[in-house]
Amino acid sequence: MSNKKNYGMVIDTRVCVGCSACVYACKQENHVPEGYCRDWVVQETGGEYPKLTMENRSERCQHCENAPCVTYCPTRASHYAEDGTVQINRSLCTGCKACMAACPYDARYVHPEGYVDKCSLCKHRIEQGLETACVSICPTGSLHLVDFNNMDQKTKTLLSGKVVYRQKEHAGTEPGLQWISASNKHGA
Amino acid sequence: MLATAVNEIVSTKLNPNVVPHLHIWEWHIPLYLFLGGIAGGLLVITSIMIVLKRKFGIGPRDQGDGCPCLAVRIGSILSPTLLGIGMLFLFLDLAHPLYVWAFYTTIQPTSPMSAGSWILLAFFPLAILQAMLVNKRQLRSFNIEPVNKVIDWTENHMTIVALVNAHIGVGIGIYTGILLSFFSARPLWSSSILGMLFLVSGISAAAALMLLLAPKDEKPVYSMIDANAIWIEIMTVGLFVLGGLTGSANTHGAMMHLVTGDVNLAGMSYMFWFWGIFVGAGLVVPLLLEFLEAAGVHIKFPNVAPVMVLLGGLVLRFLIVFAGQTYHTFM
Repeated sequence: MSNKKNYGMVIDTRVCVGCSACVYACKQENHVPEGYCRDWVVQETGGEYPKLTMENRSERCQHCENAPCVTYCPTRASHYAEDGTVQINRSLCTGCKACMAACPYDARYVHPEGYVDKCSLCKHRIEQGLETACVSICPTGSLHLVDFNNMDQKTKTLLSGKVVYRQKEHAGTEPGLQWISASNKHGA
Repeated sequence: MLATAVNEIVSTKLNPNVVPHLHIWEWHIPLYLFLGGIAGGLLVITSIMIVLKRKFGIGPRDQGDGCPCLAVRIGSILSPTLLGIGMLFLFLDLAHPLYVWAFYTTIQPTSPMSAGSWILLAFFPLAILQAMLVNKRQLRSFNIEPVNKVIDWTENHMTIVALVNAHIGVGIGIYTGILLSFFSARPLWSSSILGMLFLVSGISAAAALMLLLAPKDEKPVYSMIDANAIWIEIMTVGLFVLGGLTGSANTHGAMMHLVTGDVNLAGMSYMFWFWGIFVGAGLVVPLLLEFLEAAGVHIKFPNVAPVMVLLGGLVLRFLIVFAGQTYHTFM
């Protein structure tokens, strides 16, 4: 057991149906303005007819361990929080947008009130012992909030023996989101 | 017919700053980079002119009382002025301009913007001091006590001020390119030679501006500086393009997006802007004109070449800033 938290997510794309409940739960919980989003749903279709494959997945800020947004932020507005997430201090953000140019995941947007905003992994809810809004509403149990420093048995079983990937790992960002690929065989 | 494999991604992401492509910087930033480049270039050229004249006796005749030639005097004033105007555009680009003070509460060594905001601040005192020293005769005639005192204290050290300024000028010029090249998520910008390209382009644009402003007998020296800078710039652009084309799929694609791109910018494709306007009209033609003039051929409109150089420099900043955003993010 480590006392230091390292929050991230495990996203099981095998059961994601792309309903967007996570997107709207987040928008309401975090007062995301109309026309913007902190998380979104992607549907990726590949292959050759009739052997087509499809993966639905919910995406958001990857809360990287080596986050380019934090590296390039000139004012310390973007920073690493104690719990392993990447957060933005609004009262230091000038809206220079360097973090947006730096993010290989395009996870950020300029809030109409003049600061850069993104997924906070519902830090305010985690501090109250709750799960994130997206995790709490996901109807198929695709989304899992995980402390990677103290993984419980349930998460270990979930990941065990599966094809699990992280996005753009070659960018050197050490992303904190892990996807269980939809390519996993049934019963895997 | 062979079936074709597909890989199609449909996303519900809405954010207008990143969908359908990065869209964070518009005209403010290219204009700032252009003015910053000229300011750096002016500081480099005027400082070197001062040192050359004082140490080696090379260059146009001084105006007496320790004041250098007219173009150096005007250039020294324009350098901090243009940078100040450029910084105004930078300020206007901030989504929350009132928080601009936050830049000066910390030094973040890994952030080029943080380093840049401090370099910009360091630039002004010495650049303004140089502008004062080269115009001291005029300034003294106003008889303002504090100004006179500053001139009294520093006038014997003009060469040292100029030597330091030459380096600060190079720093500013390189910084305008480095600002973009640190972003590894943007394949077109992610090239350190961009710092060199913007520095040389800034020096060339500054020489062109001084060529426009200099009195007739001072013009040849700036024409020569400009021609040499353009020559180096052509080489640097060539290396920038080659570096992109021979790079990974990301960099190759981004460079092709610029040099053969059909994305429309103000009615013309990137390809046309790059080869026709920037390389052709902004580099090759003015180099040819300045070469012919130096060879003694009479050019009917001698101001055409420097104006073309200035426009080419402006177009380069717009092209790089825009094409870097319209190409897809690092894959």
